[in-house]
Amino acid sequence: MKYKQILIPILYIVLFGFFTATKVHAESYNLSVSPPLLRVHILPGKAITQVYTIGNSDIADQTLVASIVPFSQADDNGNPVLNPQTTAPWLGYFSLANSEIKLNEPFTIRAGATEQLVLSLTVPPDASLGEIYATLMISTYTNSIDQNLEGTALKATIGSNLLITISSEAYPDTVLKIIDFNPTEGSFLKIGNIYFADSITAMKFSALVSNEGKFTADTKGVFRVTKGTDNPVFLDGILPLNVISKSQRILVNTNGAPFEFTPTLSQIGNHQISLEIKTENSNATSTIEVFFFPLKLSLGLLLTIIIISLIVKTSGKSTIVPLDNNK
Amino acid sequence: MIYPITTLVTLVFFTLICSSPAIADTLNSPAFQIQMSTVNLTGGNKSSASYKLSDTVGQTFQGQFNSAGYVIQAGFQYINTLIPFSFRISNLSINFGSLVPGTPSTLSNILTITTGSAFGYTVKAIEDHPLSRSDGLANIPDTACDLGTTCLQTSANIWADNARYGFGYNMSGADITGDFVNSTYYRPFPAQNVDQPAIIMSKNGIATSSAATVTYKINIAGGQAAGTYQNAIQYIAIPAF
Repeated sequence: MKYKQILIPILYIVLFGFFTATKVHAESYNLSVSPPLLRVHILPGKAITQVYTIGNSDIADQTLVASIVPFSQADDNGNPVLNPQTTAPWLGYFSLANSEIKLNEPFTIRAGATEQLVLSLTVPPDASLGEIYATLMISTYTNSIDQNLEGTALKATIGSNLLITISSEAYPDTVLKIIDFNPTEGSFLKIGNIYFADSITAMKFSALVSNEGKFTADTKGVFRVTKGTDNPVFLDGILPLNVISKSQRILVNTNGAPFEFTPTLSQIGNHQISLEIKTENSNATSTIEVFFFPLKLSLGLLLTIIIISLIVKTSGKSTIVPLDNNK
Repeated sequence: MIYPITTLVTLVFFTLICSSPAIADTLNSPAFQIQMSTVNLTGGNKSSASYKLSDTVGQTFQGQFNSAGYVIQAGFQYINTLIPFSFRISNLSINFGSLVPGTPSTLSNILTITTGSAFGYTVKAIEDHPLSRSDGLANIPDTACDLGTTCLQTSANIWADNARYGFGYNMSGADITGDFVNSTYYRPFPAQNVDQPAIIMSKNGIATSSAATVTYKINIAGGQAAGTYQNAIQYIAIPAF
């Protein structure tokens, strides 16, 4: 009886706790932005809008803040070097046309929902001609760190790049130069200006382009291997990268990999391997001479001949001892 | 005996290397792939047995710019617009709780990136300040790793000595930087307003759920002042162009 009096309240408490407990989960983040890149070519005095779709795939609502951060430099792979402290007079050209969401002010996207940010770019008629490079950054918004946290609170930012050309011409002058184009992998040696390479080994090439002009240029073109008079034996496309003004980019093929050429056994002799970039206002070409010959095959053959010679020589010297039937 | 064999081998060899290839059309190669792009109205992939061609066709850039005064390119041939640039962090709260001096504590979370862009991406990290008490009178310094293997903000090194104190992180998984050789290699976080954010993940090309684990490690000395230590770390995921 005494046990019953104790057990029933305990059972009530356990059941109450079980049914009223809220689901606890670790705070996480799962955000997406589209498009990841916007390239605009615009006359002074004109305005455009671009819709960005922000998706919150997390199981919790997310409070965010959108901002425009300028950049003027990028690394050799096209990753912008951001400096959030930088200000620029053209930041005022940007605004959000949304009724309830403004730049640099927090807004909330419900769990599993998407929000559209309508970015407006208005270029004044007296705007100076040139380039604007910026990143639309969507960051998690927090007022303060939880006082019970003994460690690190994580914040997250996702971005989308904007490359804006303000120009009165459709094709402003671009100055692209191929400043490096060399073989990096394969069996080769360089004598003078000519590379001597094995004709059955793949060759990989590194390539670097520099934009010395005032406007962004893209790297449309081809990687070409020719023999004799312009007979191409291999072609590959160059990935059309956006090279911002006064920057360098590593060129890659359309699969995002370094340029590669694997000659066939019959491709022997002098070949020209070239990179050709063609923009509307300028061309850039870099060519190297490669003489393919069967280096490995020749060495293998030489080794075979030596071995055969040794075998024959050895067998020729061996004396035949006649059997002595008298013993 | 030797002469017929060597003569035969030599003849076969020179016949093989000196014969010119019979090519009906020099462009006939399965390796050819020419791609070009413009502001698209239509396009697609064309192919034959000898080549692949992917193109887009539309109004000329010149014509569009002259008539409207602007040209917008938000869709690119090498960016799959059906795959948005997305960034996921499995846990935003790294709560170490109580620490034991000389006994390192580790916690981890997972960063995941998806991008349909052939240009790739980077994820960078920066902290607001080293782990500090709210009164600002004490902090846990960022790790310098072991005495003989000093690490930097952009160069991980071995931190296995329990007599070396501080706060740092290790990375493992996809698209991480090459300096995180194994689970004993750590880096300190760069600090805001002092340092540039450090690249922790990057890829030149499309990434489909590229996931990397960040392991946070903290080790305090016996004389570390009691209190609640906090900081904030920001991860910045930006696509390349």
